[in-house]
Amino acid sequence: MIMGKKQIKIQIKDLGFYYKNQQIFENICIEFENNSITTISGPSGQGKSSFLMALNRLWESIEGAKVKGTIRMDFGKGFENIYHKNYSVTKLRQRVGMVFQVPNPLPMSIYKNIEFPLKLRGEKNKTIIAEKVEQTLIESFLWEEVKDRLFTDAGLLSGGQQQRLCIARALVLEPQVLLLDEPTSSLDEKSVQVIEDLLLKLKKKCTIILVSHHIDQVDRIADNKLVLSDRRLVQH
Amino acid sequence: MGKNVWDMLLGFFAWCCAILLAGSMILIIGFLILKGYKAISLELIFANTSPLDALLFKQQVFGGLFPAMVGTFFLILLSMGFALPLGLASGIFLAEYAPGSIKKIFSLCFDILAGVPSIVIGLFGFSITILLHHSFNSQIFPCLLISALSLAFLVLPYIIKTTQVALESIPLLIRLTAPSLGATKLENIFLVLLPASISDITSGIVLAIGRCAEDTAVIMLTGVVAVAGIPKSIFSGFEALPFYIYYIASEYSDQSELMKGYGAAIILLLICSGLFGISHWGKNRLTAKTRFNY
Amino acid sequence: MQHREHIAGIIFWGATVLSAGVTLAVLVFMVILSLPIIKNDMILEVLMGPWSPDYGLFGILPMIVGTLCIALLSLVFSFPVSLGCSIFIEIIRPGKPGRFLKKFVRLMTAVPTVIYGFVGVFLLVPHVRGFVSHGSGMCILSASLMLGLVISPTMILFFSQSFARVPKTYLNAVDALGGTQFQKFIYLLFPQAWPGILTGIILAFGRAMGDTLIALMISGNSVMLPTSPLDSARTLTAHIAMIIAADFGSIEFKTIFLCGGILYLLTSFGILLARFSAGKQN
Repeated sequence: MIMGKKQIKIQIKDLGFYYKNQQIFENICIEFENNSITTISGPSGQGKSSFLMALNRLWESIEGAKVKGTIRMDFGKGFENIYHKNYSVTKLRQRVGMVFQVPNPLPMSIYKNIEFPLKLRGEKNKTIIAEKVEQTLIESFLWEEVKDRLFTDAGLLSGGQQQRLCIARALVLEPQVLLLDEPTSSLDEKSVQVIEDLLLKLKKKCTIILVSHHIDQVDRIADNKLVLSDRRLVQH
Repeated sequence: MGKNVWDMLLGFFAWCCAILLAGSMILIIGFLILKGYKAISLELIFANTSPLDALLFKQQVFGGLFPAMVGTFFLILLSMGFALPLGLASGIFLAEYAPGSIKKIFSLCFDILAGVPSIVIGLFGFSITILLHHSFNSQIFPCLLISALSLAFLVLPYIIKTTQVALESIPLLIRLTAPSLGATKLENIFLVLLPASISDITSGIVLAIGRCAEDTAVIMLTGVVAVAGIPKSIFSGFEALPFYIYYIASEYSDQSELMKGYGAAIILLLICSGLFGISHWGKNRLTAKTRFNY
Repeated sequence: MQHREHIAGIIFWGATVLSAGVTLAVLVFMVILSLPIIKNDMILEVLMGPWSPDYGLFGILPMIVGTLCIALLSLVFSFPVSLGCSIFIEIIRPGKPGRFLKKFVRLMTAVPTVIYGFVGVFLLVPHVRGFVSHGSGMCILSASLMLGLVISPTMILFFSQSFARVPKTYLNAVDALGGTQFQKFIYLLFPQAWPGILTGIILAFGRAMGDTLIALMISGNSVMLPTSPLDSARTLTAHIAMIIAADFGSIEFKTIFLCGGILYLLTSFGILLARFSAGKQN
């Protein structure tokens, strides 16, 4: 344990999540340290996914969902209230990336999948795009396996490869926070190992929040272990 | 599970109904084909004009079905031109923008529109003509434009419903993918959601086209006539296949005209079942290509 | 970027409002154009009386009766056959034969009604004429037989869907208790699917009331009040198609808008009823 000033990346105060007027969790106060891996475990259906979605405001695309409380994040220019009415949601999601439980490649080639977020942000330079695609695929330990078939359908990859693709896609905009919702639950052992190594490497650039059911995984990679149960988020 | 008398009766009843239904249809279609196959020929369509001249609109066709087929074709083109943008936009609104309560009200509205008899839609189109005639330009009469507009009203609810249902059936995970990568609502709709539902939407559109091709009641009140040749402009009268068939049934003067009626009926049947086939075959092909692997 | 999103949202909203406006506008136009009849206190006369323009009588009662009779009779013909077919598809032979029949029924919806009318004139009507030995063969019976065929796919597909929606757990329970196929149908499937079946009936009835071509071509179009299925009759829809050619300024002409309004209200009421009934199965 290194003593010294902890750098806080995310500050959450009194966070509550409601779905169709039913309370999922309430009054959550927690802080996340910069460049750390925090895991969140707990019984299913308690709102772990909802918690993650509160951090990139993705719940706003779901009808019937409501959020109360404040979340402030420090992206290098001091704390910003991400729920401020003028705060750009699209900019937020470029800084806070998300990987889902089930791999969700878009129905395009591997290359186009990773190019997609770049195009959304307006990047037109083909050289830069090609560089970034290669860079993130190398980072995600996927480059060697797909470098010869970049333009084939992403849907043809195996589950583990698809998930690494989704991680690469989430990384291409260089997010400062990465949210992962049980990213290895549907994968084989080898893929799990690869992705865990990946996350440990990414820690240096990102603040990682990971929902995971597997005690072993949590023990292996977590700097901080949280449990969400009985509508409260507590230290393990 | 015991088989007893009642079971057998139920089975017998079901078989009888199935055979009765299928038999009646086969009787009807068979009768049509038997009576009319002899009429099918290029002459039926183009009469004494050479097909090439007719297709290039160099020469008018007299006594053939070509003008009616052209009329039907332009009807479809124009009415889809009105109905598609309006219907797609409304479907997108209902699926992606409208909150629950508003969605229900509009859905009911469009269900009601879908239930309105086609002749009443035609009457509405006719009323619009009266309105335009009195307030705008007294040169306006029932014509191709009015018919196309009225047909657009007829198929509008179907296009809206098809689009809405297609978009709504996209799984949540797919819906959230692009937004989680920083896409706006509009980008999500056009880059991910619409491409994902294109097969269902297209098949719905093809069915709507079929509806335009077969309708008689609407066009009867809004400008179709028995003889008009190729329509000169959207403000002129026009012919159409379904009306021709109706007209022959009530006004045929000799056997050869009757035969043309049979021929027209077969052609219309082929067009409509062809469109139906395209709609279903297309659905299967496109779904396979854009299938999400999740 | 925000701007573009906002404008797009408004465009989509505008399109929807415009489309919904059409629904309303149809009713409004029908009402406005029937006003002369309502204003002149002729409304009761027109709704209840006989049609005889030469004597100044513009009652559409015969047409209202004609519409109801033909629609009802076609329902009478179509309901048992549709029920039987859906039983065939879902219960008796749910494998290949059932799927085939379902596809066949779907294909039936692609056949234009004018074709049914055309074949009706040249195939059905002469036979009815010969069978009945008086009249022209153009009567309520002929029209109802054809119309019954036209509305069958609507009911068959609805009924099938309703049967398929009954939860498998219920079916398994009946099987485990030793129930026969017939008992399963009478005591479980039919009662459970009844709201959906009712919805299908209502929708088919609406469709039957709204049909124009078949009635126009083979029901005879007489303006006398029908007294038997073998009588010729005229429906509201056919009436509209026939009177449209009359002199625009006459009262005769104005009655068609009243017919349109009545049809609109009848079918809308049917849709509301069907919505209510469909809500019950969920």
